[in-house]
Amino acid sequence: MTSIIAFWLIALMLSAYTLLDGYDLGAAAIAPLLARARAERSAIVESIGPFWSGNEVWLVAAGGTLFALFPQAYAVTFSGFYLPFIVVLWLLMFRGIAIELREHLPGAMWMDFWDVAFSLSSALLILLFGVALGNLVHGLPLDRSGYFLGTFSSLLNPYALLVGALAVAGLVQHGLAYVGDNVAGALGDRALRYIGRLWWFVLLAYLGLSAATIGALRGPVPIAPLAVAASAVALASLAALRAFAARRRSGPAFLASSAFLAGLLAAAAATMYPYLIRPYRDTPGGLTIFQASPPAMTVAISLVVALAGLAAVIAYSSFVRKRMSAKVVVREETV
Amino acid sequence: MDVVLADRLQFSFTMMFHYLFPIGTMGIAPFIVWYNYRALATGEQKNSDAARFWTKIFALNFAVGVVTGIPMEFQFGTNWALFSAQTGAVVGQPLMIEGVYAFFLESVFLGVLLYGRERVSPRLYLASAVAVWLGSWLSGYLIVVTDAWMQHPVGYAIGPAGRIELQSLAAVLFSPFAGWQYAHVITGAVVAGGFVVAGIGAYYLLAKRDAEFGRTFVRDGVIVALVSSALVIFPTGDRNGADVTAYQPVKLAAMEGLFQSSRGAPLAIIGMPDVAAHNLIDPVFVPDLLSFLAYGNFRAGVDGLTSYATALWPPVELTYYAYHVMVGLGTLFIAIAAGAALLLWRRRLFETPLALWALLLAMPFPYIASEAGWVVAEVGRQPWIVYGLMKTQAAASPNVVSGETIFTLIGFAGMYFLLGVLFLLLTLREIAIGPGPQPQNPPAAQPAPAR
Repeated sequence: MTSIIAFWLIALMLSAYTLLDGYDLGAAAIAPLLARARAERSAIVESIGPFWSGNEVWLVAAGGTLFALFPQAYAVTFSGFYLPFIVVLWLLMFRGIAIELREHLPGAMWMDFWDVAFSLSSALLILLFGVALGNLVHGLPLDRSGYFLGTFSSLLNPYALLVGALAVAGLVQHGLAYVGDNVAGALGDRALRYIGRLWWFVLLAYLGLSAATIGALRGPVPIAPLAVAASAVALASLAALRAFAARRRSGPAFLASSAFLAGLLAAAAATMYPYLIRPYRDTPGGLTIFQASPPAMTVAISLVVALAGLAAVIAYSSFVRKRMSAKVVVREETV
Repeated sequence: MDVVLADRLQFSFTMMFHYLFPIGTMGIAPFIVWYNYRALATGEQKNSDAARFWTKIFALNFAVGVVTGIPMEFQFGTNWALFSAQTGAVVGQPLMIEGVYAFFLESVFLGVLLYGRERVSPRLYLASAVAVWLGSWLSGYLIVVTDAWMQHPVGYAIGPAGRIELQSLAAVLFSPFAGWQYAHVITGAVVAGGFVVAGIGAYYLLAKRDAEFGRTFVRDGVIVALVSSALVIFPTGDRNGADVTAYQPVKLAAMEGLFQSSRGAPLAIIGMPDVAAHNLIDPVFVPDLLSFLAYGNFRAGVDGLTSYATALWPPVELTYYAYHVMVGLGTLFIAIAAGAALLLWRRRLFETPLALWALLLAMPFPYIASEAGWVVAEVGRQPWIVYGLMKTQAAASPNVVSGETIFTLIGFAGMYFLLGVLFLLLTLREIAIGPGPQPQNPPAAQPAPAR
């Protein structure tokens, strides 16, 4: 029982990460295409500047929780995917440096360089996260102790790339909704308008992925009703997003986009359950939450500590967000 | 190359580079709180300018600290899979708590400090500074707790599969080894903070600019440096040393370069260890002092390295030198800070260029002392990764080869070189701009591009 709660706690933390860091990753990825001048890019950076670092902590905290609650899975995945994990790490570093250092020198070349670096590393990160999720849902070739047997290039299979494409489109859409909701004037309006164009691509990728998933999965999914319900929520939210964006209702549009992503992630988690690492097709191996689980007492203590802490985090970060939430305006820059 | 050696090189390189920046954030955070508090209490512009200046320096340290910190957590899994799988149920706990309790606090409220001066009330702004300070110090505590468990494992049980299980979270979080080690680590960071603030103040006075800020920084920095330099030696260093004496006597022997057991063991002030010959070359000894420092008794017996199997010795030279560098520098800090404080008291410090130069040039050394202290702690722990429980040699990832680790080590080296250059460039630039009131349009700005 405790391992089931632990599984969902980690799924929840990773979802929080996707919804929160997702908007700043997405906004960063689309910034060069969305912004028409450096001042507009600065406004986008300013809208995510106070929050991106706190958003990224969700990933670090989820990693720590996985380490504490499923150490076996932590060890097997991180060392099994050595190279891709280190590449993700370098991209995270590059991106953090780009947004933080951009503001420290008021020079046009300096800012342009870091804007491009920020955008490219964010886009690549989304793609890699999507590919990783795709492989986890689809299953991996594993040996008996759960170590990954393939290579980096074998991770770039069509199914995983399709999830990567949906991730890029979905998070860019999320970023556009965020910019629409948090930047005033023409830039915010343009962001909402862009959603209308991107939307068809997201829908197509979503439908393609649903078909591919049904085709790829052999054997019963233990909690299929949840997967189906979550997919339905995702589809309904996607429809609502289009309607809200078209009416320029930015707040509800951002919520609808969040619900769309949450639905997708819940469906992915339900498909993976009870595996932490799913073996490819019907090959042996794989690590379920029951095999990998530590003693119930450990999980119980960790859960209480983590949940109490997260409740406080949610309370003070929404308080701060409320106090800090002035719509960003595009300013003529002195650079 | 041996894969474990490659993993160790990568971990120590990334760790030692990373730690430079937490020293900065943990050492500067109290000053930001102080200047913000003074700004709120006095309403003087000078204090909020000082707070803003140090917040900028803090932010640069924080940015590099965060991006170089994430690889540390990753590396437990990527390079040390057997360690993680075996001990994660214990070691993962403080790391999870750090993420949930410390990182969020620091990140969320630093956002307020950097972007919120016009958006939130002065009181909330001050509270945010306090939250950032708490977050950085709490984060330090949880890292020390993790390390303390590796130095002196407590609160665990060996599970059915031979895996280490958590028995008492409280025992791990309040480990007897963690308390003094943390106090020692954090006062070490405050020494660095004090010397950085004093050193930059001294620079402004010597450069004959921003004199009012220069005097404030020198005064505040010197007072903090003096108090913390004293505390870092006694009681924190002394008590942390007592824990090492009690739990890791072989590390103590390596630190001191004591090869033969003896009653009334001498303290080696200098000397170069000859490990093969089991003695120190050109030593200068203080008789009986080591026995006194370790056990409070000049005639107490202290075990030398030769009373342990060679296989259980840590690398002697590195442990010995790191310890002597740390202690030597610690003594120097007291001397510089006490001299400067004396001049401050006699109201002559601001007009004594020699003392100001000493403060300016002292800035890097608390960093070196802190790094050296960690080398003593971690190299001295070898050959164990978890003291008495698990050998470092048995902890690396079984499915990662040294070719992969060397590739990523080269990548880290390149990335960190770039980071180091950018950090220095931008920090020096902030110092050059200075804490004084900024004009609305920076003079360096170019005309707006035509759109």
